[in-house]
Amino acid sequence: MSERAVAGRGAIRAALDWGSLAPLRLRSRLVAEGVYAGGHRSARRGAGVEFGGHREYAPGDDLRWLDRRSLLRHERLIVRQFETETDRALRLVVDATASMGYRGSLAPGAKLAFAAVVAAALARIAIANGDPVGLTFIGGGPGVRGVPVSGGREAFERMVATLETAEAGGDPSLDERMLDRALGGIARAARRGSIIVVLSDLIDLPAGAADRIAAMSSRGRVINVVQTLDPDEARLPFEGTVRLRALEGGAVVETDTDATREKYLEAMRNLQDAWERTLVGRGGRLIRAETNEDPVRVVRAVVEAVR
Amino acid sequence: MSFVTALGLAVAFLVAMPYLAHRLRRRRADERPFAAAHMVPAAPPRARRRSRLEDRGLFALRAAAVVALAVLGASPLVRCSRLSLRREGGASVAMAIVVDDSMSMRAAFNATSGTRFDRALRGARELLGSAREGDAVAIVMAGAPARVALAATSDLGTAKIALDAITQSDRATDLDGAIAMARALVAQLPQVDRRVVVLSDLADGRSDAPPLGEDQSVPVWVALPELRDSQSTGDCGVVAADRSASHVRVSVACGHDASASGREVTLRAGEKTIARGLAPGGNGGDVSIAIPSDAPADLVAHLEGSDAISEDDSAVVVAEAAAPAVAVIADSADEAAATGGAPIVEQALAALRLDVALRPIPAVPDRLEDFAGFVGVIADDPPGFTPEQRRALGAFLEQGGEALIALGPRAAAAPLGATLEPTLAHAVTWGDAKASNGSSVKGARESGAVAALSDAARSLADLGARGRATLAPEDAKAFDTLLAWDDGAPLVARRSIGRGGAWIVTLPFAVGSSDLTLRPGFLALLDVWTDEARALAVPLRIDVGQPWTFASAGDLAVVGPRGALPITRDGAIARVAPPLVGAYRVTLAGKTQTRIAAPVAAEMDLRPRAIAAATQRGALGETHAAVDVSWGVALALLALVFAELAVRVQRARRPEAAA
Repeated sequence: MSERAVAGRGAIRAALDWGSLAPLRLRSRLVAEGVYAGGHRSARRGAGVEFGGHREYAPGDDLRWLDRRSLLRHERLIVRQFETETDRALRLVVDATASMGYRGSLAPGAKLAFAAVVAAALARIAIANGDPVGLTFIGGGPGVRGVPVSGGREAFERMVATLETAEAGGDPSLDERMLDRALGGIARAARRGSIIVVLSDLIDLPAGAADRIAAMSSRGRVINVVQTLDPDEARLPFEGTVRLRALEGGAVVETDTDATREKYLEAMRNLQDAWERTLVGRGGRLIRAETNEDPVRVVRAVVEAVR
Repeated sequence: MSFVTALGLAVAFLVAMPYLAHRLRRRRADERPFAAAHMVPAAPPRARRRSRLEDRGLFALRAAAVVALAVLGASPLVRCSRLSLRREGGASVAMAIVVDDSMSMRAAFNATSGTRFDRALRGARELLGSAREGDAVAIVMAGAPARVALAATSDLGTAKIALDAITQSDRATDLDGAIAMARALVAQLPQVDRRVVVLSDLADGRSDAPPLGEDQSVPVWVALPELRDSQSTGDCGVVAADRSASHVRVSVACGHDASASGREVTLRAGEKTIARGLAPGGNGGDVSIAIPSDAPADLVAHLEGSDAISEDDSAVVVAEAAAPAVAVIADSADEAAATGGAPIVEQALAALRLDVALRPIPAVPDRLEDFAGFVGVIADDPPGFTPEQRRALGAFLEQGGEALIALGPRAAAAPLGATLEPTLAHAVTWGDAKASNGSSVKGARESGAVAALSDAARSLADLGARGRATLAPEDAKAFDTLLAWDDGAPLVARRSIGRGGAWIVTLPFAVGSSDLTLRPGFLALLDVWTDEARALAVPLRIDVGQPWTFASAGDLAVVGPRGALPITRDGAIARVAPPLVGAYRVTLAGKTQTRIAAPVAAEMDLRPRAIAAATQRGALGETHAAVDVSWGVALALLALVFAELAVRVQRARRPEAAA
C-alpha cells in the first residue's frame, strides 16, 4: 500500500496520501476536542489596543479593520492590526518538502498528512481561545501558499482549506533559500509571546537549520519543533538487502538493514539530540512524533509545552 | 546449419549457463523510496559478502571445466595451420625436404612470420614434427650449388639438429639440382612411400623454364604455396662496385618489373657519404660516380631507398676487377707471313671464345706487378728469360699463375745469361726430329694425365714438324708428360711450381715450324690450360655460393661477414664457398687479400617458377593438420575437478561464524 502510494516523487506531489487521517476538518476537530485547552489569556486585536501595523487583506478578515485611507491612496486592500501585551499568536510552520510525502506500511498516512492534522488541531485550539493563527510552509508543491496570521472561524476554515490542498514537494538540498523564505517572515513579524510550532521530519533540512529555527525564540517567542517521523524512519524495520532511494537529493543506498540498523538508529538519535540541545538552549522544545501514534498526544504535548 | 555450428552453439550455451545462474542468484535488491536514505550506511548484502570469493572461484572453475569438457569433445575437430605428411595406409615415409636458402627467400613473407626463409624453416620443423619412427628424412639446400645438409636418416633427432643448424644464405637458386639431389637421396630407400617436399618461393630467376616436378619418379610436393603467392615489391641490388683512379663504376641489377629509377647510389666511407649518383633506370645498368682524389680506400656502394631485399643493396668497392686475362708473347714476324693476321695462338684463343681477355705483350714482364690481372702467360719460343724476368715469372707461378711455353729454335739458342728458369733448369736442344730421336715424327700418344686431352690426342697423330725441342733428362723427369712423341719424349708436359703450374710444348706455335697449331688438339690444349689457369687464379669477385679454389693452400683462412668459413680440402686443393654477399678476408701463406662475394642478378627476379599440377596433390601432405590435444585437455579437466574439490573442502572447514 505505502510502496504503491509513494512510488515516486511525482506521485507524492500529485496526491498526498492522507490515508485514515482524512477528512482533515473532522479529524482535527476530534483531536482538538481531546485536548485540554490552556487557560492563558487570549490575544486579541481590535479597537482600543496598540496599533500593530498593516498587512495585506486576506479573504475572511474583519472588514472593520480595513484601512480605507490606504485603499484610496494605494488602491490596495490593507488591514490594520492591533495587539495587546497578551498577544499569543500561533505561527505554524509545516515542512512540505518531498520527504514529508513519505508513508510507510505501518503509518496511517503520509507524514505531511499527520502534520496537517496536528497543525489544524492546534489552530482550532488557538482560535477557540481567541488567538490568531498563521501558517507557513517549508517547500511544498507549486500551489502551496501560507495563511496570514488571523483569527476567528474564518481563519480556521482557511487553514484547513490550505492544509487540505497541500502537496509535498521541493528539495532543500537544491534550494538553499527555501528555509529562509519560510522563516524570514516569521522572524521579522512575529510578536513577543508568539508561539511558533514547526512540524518537520528534520531529515533533509540544510545544515544550520536547527540554529536558525531556534533563533526565532528570541523576543519572548516560544518555539516548539515537532519531529514527525514515519515508523519506518523511526525504526528501519526492513529486512535483508534493500536499495533505498532518497526522496530528496536522489541518493541511492544499497544496504543490508540487518547489519546497518543500529548505526542508522544511532544516527537518528544523534540528529534528535542535536536538535534538542539547540532548542532547549533557546527555551524551546523538541517533541518527537511518529505518524502511527495518536495525534492527540502530540497536540497535548505541544499545548503543555507552551502553557 | 552444419553440425559444427550446432555444436558450437551448444557449447556456447553450456559455457553461459554457469554465468547466467550466477547472475540470477546475485540479482539486484528491490529499490524503495526512503526519506532518510542518506542516513543509512551502505553495506554490501551479507550473502554477497560471504560468498564473494568462494563464488567467483567456483564460478571460474566450473566455467573452465565446462569449456575444457567441450574442447575435449571437439578435439577431433581441432586443426591448426601446420604442414604434415599424409600417409598411404599409415606406412613409413621417406621424405627429402628441399629448403630454399637463396637470397630471394630473404623477402618478407608477412608482418608476423618474418621472411620467406623463416616460414620455410618453420614448415620444415612442422614436417619433422609429423614424422614418426621409421620415417626417413633427408634435407637438401636449394641455394646454388644445391647441397646435402643431411643424408637420409631415420634418426629424427639428428634431423632436428641438422635443421637447427641451417641458416639463411645469399646464394642463387638451384631448384632443379636440389630436387634431383633429393630424389637421388630417397630413391633407394626401403620405404615404399617416398616424396620430395619443396619449401621454396620458387623464384630461381627462370620463370619461363619448364615447370618443376614434372618428373614424378619420386613425387614432388611443393608445400607452402603461400610462399610462392606472397606479394612482394620488386628488388634491385648492387652486383659490382669497381674503383678506378677517379671513378667508381657501380653495377645495379633489378628484377622483373622492378626499377631503380629515381633511387640514388651513394659511396660511403664509414658513416660519411663522399659521393652520390643517380641509379640507372630500367632493369639496371652501370653508373659511374666520380670520387675525390683523396677518397679513403675502404668504400661501400649503397643503393638508397628500400625494396624487397635490403641485403643486396650494398657492395664493397674493390679495385677494378676486369675479366681474367692471358698474356701472349709471340713474335708475329713469321706468323704474319703465314696467316696474314695475329699470331696463330691469339687467333686460336679468340676462336675458343673463352671468358678471358687476350693481352699481347712484347716480352715476359720483369716485375711482378706487371703480372697483375693475368691468370696465365703464353710464351711462344721465348729466347730465354733475363734474371729479372725469371724472378718475376717465378713469383707469379708461386702465387698461382700458369705458364705455357712453346719451345723452339729460339729457346734452344738462348743467349748467354738467358735461361728458361724457373720452368726448365737446363737448356733445351733443337734438332731434326728424326736425327734427335732416331724415329720419325709420326704422332703423339697420350699419357692419360689430362682426360680432356684424350680425344684430342688422336688429332695430333702424324704431326708434320721440321724439328722439335728436346729437354734435358733432368728436366724431363721433373715434368709430368701429358702428350708424348712416339719415342716417349714429352710433347706436352706439366709441372707444378708453388701454387701455379708450368706447361711446356716441345714444338713452337709458328705454322712454319709444324702443323701442330692447325690440329684440333691444339685448341683442346689451349682450352684445358686456360681452365686450369682460371681455376688457380682465384678470382677477386665471385658469385655468392660459388667456391674459391686454392691450389697448394696449406695455410689458408677465410673470414667473412659471419666469421671464419669452413674450408673443404681435396688433396692439395682447398675450396671455400662464401654463403653471404660481402667482403671476405682471405689469408693465404701469411698474405691477406680482400675478396668479394657478389649477389646474383637472377635472384632479384622474384617471379616464381611454374610448377606441375601433380606437385599440389593433397595426397602428399596437408597444410591444416588435425592436432591431438585431447590428452592435454583431459589433464586440464582433471586438474579443474580437483581444484573444485579443494575449494569445496576449504569452504566446508571454514567456520560459519565467518559468514
